[in-house]
Amino acid sequence: MITLPGEVYGYRVRVGCDVVAIEDVQDSLAAFGDRYLRKVFTASEINDCQGRNRVQRLAARFAAKEAVIKAFAEPDMPFPLREIEVTRDGPLPRLRLSGALAERAQHQGWLSSSLSLSHADCHAMAVVLVVCGGNAGAGAR
Amino acid sequence: MARLLANRFAKRQKCEVSVIQDQIREVLAAHGRMTVDPREVDDQADLYELGLTSHASVDVMLALEDEFDIEFPEEVLKKSTFASIHNIGQVVESLVKSLA
Repeated sequence: MITLPGEVYGYRVRVGCDVVAIEDVQDSLAAFGDRYLRKVFTASEINDCQGRNRVQRLAARFAAKEAVIKAFAEPDMPFPLREIEVTRDGPLPRLRLSGALAERAQHQGWLSSSLSLSHADCHAMAVVLVVCGGNAGAGAR
Repeated sequence: MARLLANRFAKRQKCEVSVIQDQIREVLAAHGRMTVDPREVDDQADLYELGLTSHASVDVMLALEDEFDIEFPEEVLKKSTFASIHNIGQVVESLVKSLA
């Protein structure tokens, strides 16, 4: 039996994932409308989620935010959802952090991230993978 | 006399906390999508264990803002805030008091 190391060549990898029911997002929009949108998503994200599959796209972005929170592995830290933004690089979703979360990511040694989103009729999901420098500051491993 | 006043103050505070918790239970029942009736849940019970999701906690927060006419500042937007009725109550109480 072996216990695999938490880091390789001085680098650590973190993964976060989340799944969100499309219906839940639909219900939130119906109940709280713009307040829900403005509390959770950036203006750019709202703009990216126009048109067909709008709710599915919003749900996938919410899942991405939760996936990022899990990757931080600090459950007692405040997570302003709009400081985690999903942007687009051509067909690929990208992750952008701002404010206190960007500082925290720097402190944890985040060097690179990769994000994947998907959805079906009922659920949306996201997986985020983060590469961290091994010698960086605190944070759960 | 001082002890009597202190007892009265403590009773009144307990009553206010209880009223706030009742309102929180109603909000959880309407928006929490939990697997149990939150009106029958202990105030220290782990709400995530009882089916509260991260997404539902956003709805609960928005509904609490409406119910108490408050706004949750970013520094309290953490998992532990919504982990129990007791925790939600403490945050709501402090936000309500800060407006008074």
